[in-house]
Amino acid sequence: MEGEGALHLTVEGDRVIDLRLEIYEPPRFFEAFLRGRAASELADLVARICGICPVAYQMSTLHAVESIFQVRLHPSVRALRRLYYCGEWIESHLLHMYFLAAPDYLGVDDGIAVARFHPGEVERGLRLRKLGNRILSLLGGRPVNPVGACIGGFSRTPTRVELEELAEEIVRARGETEAALRFFASLPVPSRPQAIELVSLRHPLEYPMNEGRIVSSTGLDIEAAEFATAFSEHQVPHSTALHCRRIGGGRYLVGPLARLLQNSDRLSPSALAARESVAARLSSTDPYASVFARAIEVIYAFDEALRVIREFEPPPRPAAEFAPRAGVGHGATEAPRGLLYVRVETDDRGYVSAIRIVPPTAQNQACIEADLRELAPGVLALPHEQARRACEMAIRNYDPCISCSTHFLTLEIERRSPA
Amino acid sequence: MRIKVIGLGSPHGDDAVGLEVARQLSRETLPGGAAAVACDRPGVDLLDELEGIDAAVLVDALRSGASPGSVRVLSPAQLARGHALSSHALGVADALALAEALGRRRPELRIVAVELEAERREGVSAAGRAAVPEACRRVRMLLAELTRQAHFETD
Repeated sequence: MEGEGALHLTVEGDRVIDLRLEIYEPPRFFEAFLRGRAASELADLVARICGICPVAYQMSTLHAVESIFQVRLHPSVRALRRLYYCGEWIESHLLHMYFLAAPDYLGVDDGIAVARFHPGEVERGLRLRKLGNRILSLLGGRPVNPVGACIGGFSRTPTRVELEELAEEIVRARGETEAALRFFASLPVPSRPQAIELVSLRHPLEYPMNEGRIVSSTGLDIEAAEFATAFSEHQVPHSTALHCRRIGGGRYLVGPLARLLQNSDRLSPSALAARESVAARLSSTDPYASVFARAIEVIYAFDEALRVIREFEPPPRPAAEFAPRAGVGHGATEAPRGLLYVRVETDDRGYVSAIRIVPPTAQNQACIEADLRELAPGVLALPHEQARRACEMAIRNYDPCISCSTHFLTLEIERRSPA
Repeated sequence: MRIKVIGLGSPHGDDAVGLEVARQLSRETLPGGAAAVACDRPGVDLLDELEGIDAAVLVDALRSGASPGSVRVLSPAQLARGHALSSHALGVADALALAEALGRRRPELRIVAVELEAERREGVSAAGRAAVPEACRRVRMLLAELTRQAHFETD
């Protein structure tokens, strides 16, 4: 998922006649080489797809496999998986907010320049983010390419002392999450509401992470297993990334903004209060408001992590036992960047015969292109460098994996004289 | 004097050399009682590794056009800032620049750089493997030197 992007614009006079966002995105190879591996190896292997959101790949894949093997998770294990996901949201969202979004809104080149002007804010972001890494290390063994998650649970249950130490650190840092939102709310974040269908999970009780039905703002409401009835992936010649479309629908958005707008009633009280403080920015579907959604989800993730730890009762064993069997399973969970769907097919020895991975970036790509098509006419008159920045900024709202580098975009404008 | 060896890199090809050097050194008693840690692409987390220490020797792979496997000692000033500041591949120079922008106290640093084989491949190349003992030797020398210097300064 890491890589480079290029945006090709063909304009005639002041009219955009063609727009192509090219992304080099390699996870399709994963689907090929995972075939023939034991399902029990998948969690460690898919964690390698992305350096920023390994938990999401692990969780969607494990849930798909567990549904085939009919594994019942112990409630405490289920709670630990929520804690694990909190760690990833914290780590990923804060990195995006301080090192990718903040430079855009402050009009500077990178996070280092932000640190020069606002050292206290960046220190705060780093301090908070470290707690996300702490959670990942505790449950995954290490913050990068974690390995602790397995079929039925985790390879080890954290001790009560470890969890209590973590809780103390979370309590100390928690108030700072609101200050982070205030900082971003004080920046000149642009606004450009668009008509987009929002897609996310929805759970009867919880803010969605690992479980729930796939719902949309236009009334879609399906099980993960029905994903293929509502969404189709197809190849476009200009990009190695598959585009995912709503069957019979237009562009749709997954990610923190879609999640938040569809699940505000599932937030913790302090996250809900935080949402109220920026309510005006969240009254329409404006991709630029994604940064606020991320900040609110960080507040929620701290609250939720603390709740899980306080209510934690150790499970009888770290992972439930399982017996391999043949079948088809589906998993849909909420990666930091949005809905991540996985379909796994196993043979009777529990080996993978087919796997399909639909990451959030593939789903948002059509949405990004449509967004740029609307933006483009307004930036054509700008100097090239400014036009590139404006396009990058619009793309970064979606936090696609390509946005991991600040200057990732090559902008090519082909100007044709009107016929 | 708190001193540390930080091996940097990723498991891909010769980029793993820094990690391998740190792993080997972590099994030895090092000058100044230094600890050796291997950090797989730490990005901004390198800042945490540099907290609370007086000096560090960083070991990393380098591509400069020299012959593969050659080992050099560099100062932080000799590192070029990367063109792209990437969130998960923040380079060493970027991390140091970030620490400086934040006004953090920077420990005394030396960098042992091992020249990469240009071609990307699975596992460390023969030249890369052959360079590990020499890189380890240079790290030990630098640790001894940094420790002596610290003693001299406190006298």
